[in-house]
Amino acid sequence: MSDRTRSRRRIHQALIKKELREVIRDGRFWMIALIIAGLSLVALSFGLSRSHAVASERAAAQHEANEQWRGQGNKNPHVAAHYGTHVFKPVGALPFIDPGVEPFVGVSVKLEAHRRNDSAAGRAEDATGLSRFGGLSVALVLQLLIPLLTIGLGFSAWTAERERGTLRQLASLGLPPRLLAAGKALGIAAALGVLLVPALAVGGAIIAVWPDAANGHEHAVTSSAARSLAMLVAYGAYFLVFVSLVLAVSAWARSSRAALVVLLGFWVAAALVTPRAASDAAAWLAPMPSQAKTATDIRRSIAEGLPGVPREKRIDEITEKLLAEHGFQGAELFMPPALLASTELQAEAAFENEVIDHHYDRLSEAIERQERLSQTAAVVSPVVAIRSLSMALAGTDFTHHRLFADSAEQHRRALVAMLNEELGKKGGDDAWSYEAGSELWERAPKFEPTKPGLAWVLDNQRISVAALLIWLIASVLAAWWGARRLRVV
Amino acid sequence: MLEAVDLAKHYGDLVALRGLSLTVEPGEVFCLLGANGAGKTTTIQLFLGFIAPTSGSARIGGQDVATHSLETKSKLAYIPENVMLYPNLTGFENLEFFATLAGRGDLSEADLRETLKRAGLATEAADRRVGSYSKGMRQKVGIALARAKDARVLLLDEPTSGLDPKASNEFSELLEQVREDGVAVLMATHDIFRSKEVGDRVGIMKQGELVATMGTAELSHTDLERVYLEHMHE
Repeated sequence: MSDRTRSRRRIHQALIKKELREVIRDGRFWMIALIIAGLSLVALSFGLSRSHAVASERAAAQHEANEQWRGQGNKNPHVAAHYGTHVFKPVGALPFIDPGVEPFVGVSVKLEAHRRNDSAAGRAEDATGLSRFGGLSVALVLQLLIPLLTIGLGFSAWTAERERGTLRQLASLGLPPRLLAAGKALGIAAALGVLLVPALAVGGAIIAVWPDAANGHEHAVTSSAARSLAMLVAYGAYFLVFVSLVLAVSAWARSSRAALVVLLGFWVAAALVTPRAASDAAAWLAPMPSQAKTATDIRRSIAEGLPGVPREKRIDEITEKLLAEHGFQGAELFMPPALLASTELQAEAAFENEVIDHHYDRLSEAIERQERLSQTAAVVSPVVAIRSLSMALAGTDFTHHRLFADSAEQHRRALVAMLNEELGKKGGDDAWSYEAGSELWERAPKFEPTKPGLAWVLDNQRISVAALLIWLIASVLAAWWGARRLRVV
Repeated sequence: MLEAVDLAKHYGDLVALRGLSLTVEPGEVFCLLGANGAGKTTTIQLFLGFIAPTSGSARIGGQDVATHSLETKSKLAYIPENVMLYPNLTGFENLEFFATLAGRGDLSEADLRETLKRAGLATEAADRRVGSYSKGMRQKVGIALARAKDARVLLLDEPTSGLDPKASNEFSELLEQVREDGVAVLMATHDIFRSKEVGDRVGIMKQGELVATMGTAELSHTDLERVYLEHMHE
């Protein structure tokens, strides 16, 4: 190690030590830190017990639904398809950190022939007495309170040096300003670390001791370590944005008071106003058909057919195609009756699926347009970026919910197709009096929810990721530039 | 060591400093006398690079302050009227912090404590928080820092104003030691008595201009006071 690097490292250490000493000897820091630590613990234990309750509730419900399916006794396969079953949504990857939209969206889907049902709310969601803590979550503490603490720690980082006169002393030492700025940033980060590192340790310990509650549960989306790591990196970057912004404003401001006013104003605008305004603006700019409207449209299209293609015409087309596949084109009279009935059922299902896809594709496009618009608001507020990114990494955002609904629909189609096919194979001369038993129910496909990886999440969140990066680069540059042109006298 | 070449600073129409030229050699103490607003502090801040000159140049060790701000600062120490330190840190912690930032992180704790002691700070005071220090005690930490930094140039801006006579006298003794170490000292002051006492040369400033320069050896206190007052009344 050269003398130069050694001296540089000593300087960094000295800067961190000094900022930490000042902060730690300030009683106000401990008071705020204690409040935030307390809130974090409450949020963490609330989040853990809630996601544990939800996970076990859903696992039990899924188990019960599966038992009911297997124990439904002897009946005609297509009747069983009408009777249907339920699938339950897996809990997110890190739901105890960020519950996302989970409290507001459904948890299960009833699967049955001929229709795609919306997801329905479950019992676990509103039953817990802890729900009176409402919106408090670890994510909320990290997204709103830590930036507020950062502002409290750093708003006077430069202005107080000038107001107390120590800035002249500092400026007379012959240090490059960026070194001082980096030292200040590290000092604030270290003070945040005093709070965050124990919190991280407590959280990690709880996960290690009680893995079920967090993500080891068989019913979890995925227990991806990559997601936890990405979450850590994302929040790290987010905090760094605020540390840099605070230093930049403190360097540019005329007084500590002015810096505080500007920063609190930014916090209110970025954390409280923009997220709400962004979703309102997105809903206004890219309106979305209501679920009820979509359901009505689908019902009408199933009864009448899609515009220009009447129902009966389209079903006949599909039937012809299926008959050709079976080698009975134009000769259905020679076909075994059950196979004919099955083919007609498959054709009807295929038609219904086309109608459903047609309407859901349009719905998805509208949702994605709106989603992109509200993500774009991250350009004016880093809080919007981290909110979106955090939910997505936790596996609790609306995109994950839609992925579950879509995979439930795919499962419904596979299940119905399998049951109809079975009817054709085993139904013999009188398809409708044929009854299958538990052997078939056991053989039915199992629901395997899609487990999306980190790459999928980041691809969906590319606007938020890009916005966070832009904020990071811009704020670091602003802090550096502010330190360079700092007024000493 | 310390050189001003036709150095000037204008604020719009206001001339804070007008064509100042002076040189301070190593081991020499140069005192700038003058009323408030005469340009003494402006001169010091120009040498520190806190403000940019309108014309001319301020040089330290042959390097222009405006173009070599980090190099020139590494050679100097600055003691303002009020040495401002971090009130929540002890005197020792303040010295350790500033000395490390000045590139002397290699000094041991014992070295730093010895420096504080030599600057006249009582041993037991070193571990008290600076918030409880008197002005004179903070001044001593400032001197200790200049020593620890091994500065070749000392810029003093009315360092003794507001000190009691004993502290002021101690300060003069410390300055004497610094001079013996071969440091070039530029000191702005109101104190005619102190200038004659510690200075090798005295310059009288008025309305941004250096109106007279004289060696202290050939002058008595009364002479100096008379010359000063003559200039003030012109």
